[in-house]
Amino acid sequence: MKYLPLVWSGIWRKPVRTALIFLQVCVAFTLFGILQGMRIGMDRAIANTPADVLYVGPAVYGEPPLPIADLSRLQSIPGVNAVSFNYGMLTFYQKPTQAVYVLGIPPSDLMRTILPEEFIVQPEDLEALRKTPTGILITADIGRKYGWHIGDKIPLTSSTLQTNGSATWTFDIVGMATLNNRDEGIYVFANYYHIDEARALNKGTVGHFYAIASDPKQAATVSDAIDRAFANSASPTHTESFRDFAQEDLQSLGDLNFAILSILSAVLVALVFSTTTMMMQTVRERTPELAVLKTFGFGNRTVFLVIAAESLVVCIPASLAGLALAWITFPFAAKYIAGLSMPMVIVAFGILGAVLVAVISVSVPALRAARLNIVDALAER
Amino acid sequence: MDFLKQLAMLLRMNLLGVPQHLGLACTTVIGVTCAVGVLVSMLAMGVGARREAMGNVRPDRVSVLSVDAAGLSQSNIPPDVAALIGDLPGIRRNASGQPIAVPQAMVFVLARRNDSGSLVGFPLTGAGAGLADYAPELHLTAGRMFRPGLLELVASNTCAHQYQHFRVGDTRLIQGVEWLVVGNFDLGRSNGRCGAYTDANTVLSAFGRSSYNDVNVVLQSPAAFDEFVNAIRGNRLLHVRVEHEAELAADDVRQVNGILIFVSYFVGAILAVAATIGSANSLYAMVDSRRRELTTLRAVGFSGAPVIAATLLEAILLAIPGALIGAGLAWLFFNGLTASPLGFSFHLAVTPYLAALGIGWALGMGVLGGLLPAVRAARMPVTVALRAK
Repeated sequence: MKYLPLVWSGIWRKPVRTALIFLQVCVAFTLFGILQGMRIGMDRAIANTPADVLYVGPAVYGEPPLPIADLSRLQSIPGVNAVSFNYGMLTFYQKPTQAVYVLGIPPSDLMRTILPEEFIVQPEDLEALRKTPTGILITADIGRKYGWHIGDKIPLTSSTLQTNGSATWTFDIVGMATLNNRDEGIYVFANYYHIDEARALNKGTVGHFYAIASDPKQAATVSDAIDRAFANSASPTHTESFRDFAQEDLQSLGDLNFAILSILSAVLVALVFSTTTMMMQTVRERTPELAVLKTFGFGNRTVFLVIAAESLVVCIPASLAGLALAWITFPFAAKYIAGLSMPMVIVAFGILGAVLVAVISVSVPALRAARLNIVDALAER
Repeated sequence: MDFLKQLAMLLRMNLLGVPQHLGLACTTVIGVTCAVGVLVSMLAMGVGARREAMGNVRPDRVSVLSVDAAGLSQSNIPPDVAALIGDLPGIRRNASGQPIAVPQAMVFVLARRNDSGSLVGFPLTGAGAGLADYAPELHLTAGRMFRPGLLELVASNTCAHQYQHFRVGDTRLIQGVEWLVVGNFDLGRSNGRCGAYTDANTVLSAFGRSSYNDVNVVLQSPAAFDEFVNAIRGNRLLHVRVEHEAELAADDVRQVNGILIFVSYFVGAILAVAATIGSANSLYAMVDSRRRELTTLRAVGFSGAPVIAATLLEAILLAIPGALIGAGLAWLFFNGLTASPLGFSFHLAVTPYLAALGIGWALGMGVLGGLLPAVRAARMPVTVALRAK
């Protein structure tokens, strides 16, 4: 502790240099925080995806859609606890480039429990959807995008025609819903029964069923049972749990971990080299001062520790500042990447990394300082 | 003239001094190497993805889509309309005198991956007569072509390597019926994705569809485009629009490429900032160590401008090798490597353009990193510096 003033004055001997080192470490750890946060975020997103919600769709993408009559048969399959469904309709608002995806859902409370992390809707909003057949719930994102508010009437154009031949569907905004992770400001939620009644074709069909397995561990068995049950029907199915979907997404991102690791290694190499040369330079410039310290009786070990402490005192706060900066950017990045987060593990790894950078970069110069020969150093030889 | 002479002398002095401060000089070089290496490697993914998608694009090939369709999958061309399109002017004819206008119906079917066993969708394209004339780059490496009217398909070698049941002689269950794989093919310069072809009318009947997605046309020459479009505009029975093959292919990769490019520049910029700071720091130290020389020269009449210019040039000369090494390493390690960061695979392409871009960034880092130290070098108070040891 008594050496603290010594360490402190050593740090501020060249304020610009120290500030630049601080900034460089800070920037490097910002990148570390963002990349690690991304990786952890993705792992977490998968772990949080419910394994018990099965997504039942047609075996072939597109057509033919599944008849809603399959609902009762799905419910009777052993291991299936509850069933819900959706029908998605691609529309556009005003011009074809402004795509709006209208997801028709039954306004039942079951929708609140299917993906409780991803799709969040309040009971009163569902109630509004029940009461107003032409109602839709919008997300805050799409509302901001087009300036929509509750109470507005929104005309949407679709290739799905209504019974009267019109391609324009007019909806009333009756409430809000939240869609985490994948909301790109294109989704709205409508009353399935209204869409089904109003459309000209494909009446009585759904896009997908949500089947909730009573036991998440049996999800795979139940999926197979569902597909087997419908294999020889007019509408064969393909069933997968949401967890499987998320895992496939991750597999397709398989090379990402390698990329993150490579980038972080490159950053670390550049950073360590840079801090090492700066510390060397500092020690070289201070040779006479260090010699004076030794003349006063400072031991080799003490000199070593003073120099090492200087480096640690700069690097650790800088790394924390960098992690904080990364954490600040997360809300902005959350739009693109699901579930960014910075658990304490990353902070711990960040501090460990900072200590490592400090120790590696300071070891050679500090050793040199410790081994100074007083007579030579004072003579500046 | 004086300026240039002074600049040359200062630069010579600076560069001769580099070996004495090898560590400091290397800080700039290594920092720039890492920043440029990472930037170029990551951008090489985007370039590779684009190259993969655009590999077979020809300026004389166009696709006819329905007028309101945002893309191929929403497009609808009924058979009677497809027949009309074949009669339009400007279309090239094959050896037997038939116009090369190939209607195509696309469906997505699921395939199981070899490695993970997970199910992934692949496009099964039903093509009308004339596929061989339209796409000469499609060449069979095994088996034979599908026959119209039969449940037969040919699959790309990518399918055969990455997914189950795509080799010649395999059967697949699609829409509840068995299809026979009769051939495997390579697709010229884009072999990254799995895709299969069969007869167009087989797709329509097997999937209960009544219309194609689009009609692919080879024009007599790229210049025949206007003639072809005008003929379509003049025909009131045709509610269709024409897209160059390049546009459709570019649409296909636009989103993926957008993400890749954003991430590349984001990460590259952060690394560049770190490298610039490191470079500035080491240049400060180098300038400080040359105080006596610099102030002596100022005292004998050297002006400030050449001092600034020499320091900046030194910074740039240190950054350029870093850029070259970085781009070189990226090329050495990653060029031609297969990556699949976003679901489909392609080869990374480190191109001269990317190398030039890397050098451009290095110039930026050199100038920004050298600026403050250069100003400091020029502003050193002569008397104080000379008095100091």
